[in-house]
Amino acid sequence: MSNKVNRRDFLKIMGWGGVGATLAGCDMPTTVTLEEGKEEVTSYMIPEEYVIPGVGVYYASTCQQCPAGCGLHGRVREGRVLKLEGNPESPINRGRLCQMGQAGVQAHYNPDRITRPMMRKGSGLTTVSWDEALTHIQSKMEGVSGDRFAWFTDTVSGHQAVLMDAYREAVGSSRHYVHEIINNSVSRQVNQDMLGDPQPRLRFDKARVVLSFGADFLGTWQSPVHNAVEYAAFREAPRGVLVQVEPKMTLTGANADLWVAVRPGTEGVFALAVANALSAKNPAMLDGLPDKAKQLVRRYDIKKASRITGAAGEHIVKTAGWLAERSPSLVVAGASAEGHGHGYDTVAAIMLLNVILGNIGETIEASGAFPFPQLVARTGGTRDVMDFAKALDNKELDAVFFRGANPVFTAPESLGLRDKLGKVGLKVAFSQFEDETTRLADVVLPMYSAMEDWGTHVAAYQAGQAVIGIQQPLMQPLYEQTRGFGDVMLSLLKMRKVPGYDGYADYYAYLRDAFSALPDSLKNGASNDEFWASALQRGVLEVATGGGSLTAKVVDFDLPENPASEGAYTLVPSARLGLWDGRHANIPWLQEAPDQISKVVWDSWAEMHPRTARKLGVKTGDAIKITSANGSIEANVYVYKGIHPDAIAVPMGQGHETYGRFAKGRGVNPVKILALNTDGKTGELAHHSTQVQVSKTRVRDSMVIFGGSETQLGRKIVATVTADVYERTEGEA
Amino acid sequence: MFNTLQLPSGHITHRGARFVNRFLTPSLFWLAVIALVLGSGAARAESGVPNAVPPVGTHKGDDVPQPIEFPHNTHADVNQINCMYCHTYARRSKVAGIPPTSKCMGCHSVIATDKPRIKKLTEYWENKEPPPWRKVHDVPDYVHFTHEKHLKRFVFDNEGMQVENVAEVCAFCHGEVKKMTVAHKVKPLNMGFCRRCHEANEGPFDCWKCHK
Ligand code: SF4
Repeated sequence: MSNKVNRRDFLKIMGWGGVGATLAGCDMPTTVTLEEGKEEVTSYMIPEEYVIPGVGVYYASTCQQCPAGCGLHGRVREGRVLKLEGNPESPINRGRLCQMGQAGVQAHYNPDRITRPMMRKGSGLTTVSWDEALTHIQSKMEGVSGDRFAWFTDTVSGHQAVLMDAYREAVGSSRHYVHEIINNSVSRQVNQDMLGDPQPRLRFDKARVVLSFGADFLGTWQSPVHNAVEYAAFREAPRGVLVQVEPKMTLTGANADLWVAVRPGTEGVFALAVANALSAKNPAMLDGLPDKAKQLVRRYDIKKASRITGAAGEHIVKTAGWLAERSPSLVVAGASAEGHGHGYDTVAAIMLLNVILGNIGETIEASGAFPFPQLVARTGGTRDVMDFAKALDNKELDAVFFRGANPVFTAPESLGLRDKLGKVGLKVAFSQFEDETTRLADVVLPMYSAMEDWGTHVAAYQAGQAVIGIQQPLMQPLYEQTRGFGDVMLSLLKMRKVPGYDGYADYYAYLRDAFSALPDSLKNGASNDEFWASALQRGVLEVATGGGSLTAKVVDFDLPENPASEGAYTLVPSARLGLWDGRHANIPWLQEAPDQISKVVWDSWAEMHPRTARKLGVKTGDAIKITSANGSIEANVYVYKGIHPDAIAVPMGQGHETYGRFAKGRGVNPVKILALNTDGKTGELAHHSTQVQVSKTRVRDSMVIFGGSETQLGRKIVATVTADVYERTEGEA
Repeated sequence: MFNTLQLPSGHITHRGARFVNRFLTPSLFWLAVIALVLGSGAARAESGVPNAVPPVGTHKGDDVPQPIEFPHNTHADVNQINCMYCHTYARRSKVAGIPPTSKCMGCHSVIATDKPRIKKLTEYWENKEPPPWRKVHDVPDYVHFTHEKHLKRFVFDNEGMQVENVAEVCAFCHGEVKKMTVAHKVKPLNMGFCRRCHEANEGPFDCWKCHK
């Protein structure tokens, strides 16, 4: 044995010495943080039999943080919910939960919850009793009938939607506006027209190539957690290839094998050029297409498409090559492809690829009919908010009930909702937080949080096995004066003397009854009590959907020869898994979680390409002013290569004027300055087509960015050496 | 019992003595180790806890007035009631648990009902309000401490250990509560205290065992 201490041993020794030195500091008195006798510790009067203080009990429920409807398990200790995890029984998320879902507890414990009913008296909102608020609504509603009443909501489903319908029908109205700025309405329309199914089931796990046009399916698209689970299977050997085509890199784009930046609005040209390249090798592919579609495919050869889209020709060739070699594939379209005046046509061009590649019926499957149509999700996009504004203009509405949606924040400012809402006599907000819309209401009804309320949910995107998600309270309400949505709806129905609701003491009783009324085929011979108990325990109730089949019809569509936007820069209002459309800006965990691309926290920023930055003479951290025809916003620049030089991306979610201490006055909202362009065929807002001008305002402002470098600088995540090299340098192991 | 192990560090409290604490502790630690080596034979023989090296360190806790001046001594010493009779969750959970008021009343609806403290207790019981006890022992939220695992190691999985002597294990961290009325914090319960004990008793030493 030699006495020599080599470098490695030396480091080991120093390492341990270092630990010793560090640990010596651990005799700091804990009284720095803890003092005796400052906190109370409350015991039970009589212990609950199944409760052991300190040991968690898990209850199943359904996530309400976005419309995907994932199942969750809440860990409850001493009557308080502490932690949420995914419910493995849910076929939607199979045991996983995204960061927004995890942060559900901070929505629940949020210190800015509305805790009492309020009514507008004079100019401000004043605290009132529930009796006063509900009586006021009832007496006002007596004078309202027919279409002069409307619901304005985000995505709703299940028995809550049934009660909303019941109330609406009792008034005699057919109006229910559903508004989601993060949506897939254009694709739903194209799917309906081409496949005969608005929301077919997509099999990422079966695909060997996925070509995505701006569909951030790992982040904000349809059912992110479900997609991520399938994506993991897609990436298992033989590893699937992912190509992402978009103007600004999304989380999904960052995971792609090939990421292609295209000029905003030219996604359809890229798709047609891929079809062109495919048909060059195999002309039979285009057989059976309508002549017009064939002509469109022939119009874009690689050179022309490359010039229009700004993408390298070899990337089109490479993509076509992968698609030709590996089958089946899956081609999907997301917000940046949909959000143009020719959005429908772009998506149709993209869907055409699925038709010629034979993916329909392979990786795109029929969703089948959900057996309880009254429970299915009422989804929507941006068209409804524009129709709503029109109805306000025409003074068609006397009473509007708001739930979930916050259109004053998530619709362009030039729609003028803020002023137009003044024309409605009765605005009722069923709300947990004072957001921009709630603030303008005449009556504010404080709702239970998602952890306190009952509900059933049917997600718009059903993943294979269709389910009804059960939402049950994970704990007692935190505030005495809040109420459950279903409970309030039942009160309003009873006050209006709508027949059939008198027998229900509360929403729980209503749901129990509704479950007992479900067909025996769902109950597997269980008694009603057993059936209910098992539904609560499992958190999901599987239902069989009727088979259904898909068509592969190519719709009549067209694209302008060069669909690229004319102006200097196109504003991309980007969405991210985190703040979403702004509904999570009041959750500190999500504010402090760095953006997946820019790593910025607690702020807004404007992403631009280094070439654009050079042209404008700005660096990361400089402040710029972004001006559209409808207003301007200011944000700090973040220079990054993952964006097309013609695009300026500003994330959605910040820029709240109210909405609690964590959200208020932070950053800017790009939706505010969007132009009111619409897609020609669906009438949806063309949210990715606003032209802007950019000017520098200030140099280097403060902006907190986590992470010092954009690349791994060529280093591997885990350093490895081969056995050969090891033996040569280190000797025999 | 393990008074033999009381070291000069016993005089050093956190108040006004941070400097001393900070700079002398490492050497006190070695003194402790020497003392342990010298005194271990005696300590083991006297202690009712076999296979254990009790942790070292003291703390002079504040007086914490409680809603009822609960006499631990009457219960645990005079009447020899096992700690786990009232702190029943200690063996099953991370927290030992403050006994539910119903447990107090189980005895005190018949025992000593005329004493003023019991009258006060009965009043709480009748008002359906548990007494607002004040917390004396706590660790920060970033420390995951579990009573269950410690009792497993020192009592239930400890060969030769008599469960009746559990108070001596409790005393490792809580001091001789059975000689007190209301509890006083007499052990520092800081990381050094934990760490030395884990070292001496070969407890887990990974950061994430406690900080998770
Ligand atoms: S994807 Fe939506 S429903 Fe699923 S966990 Fe995340 S926020 Fe909840």
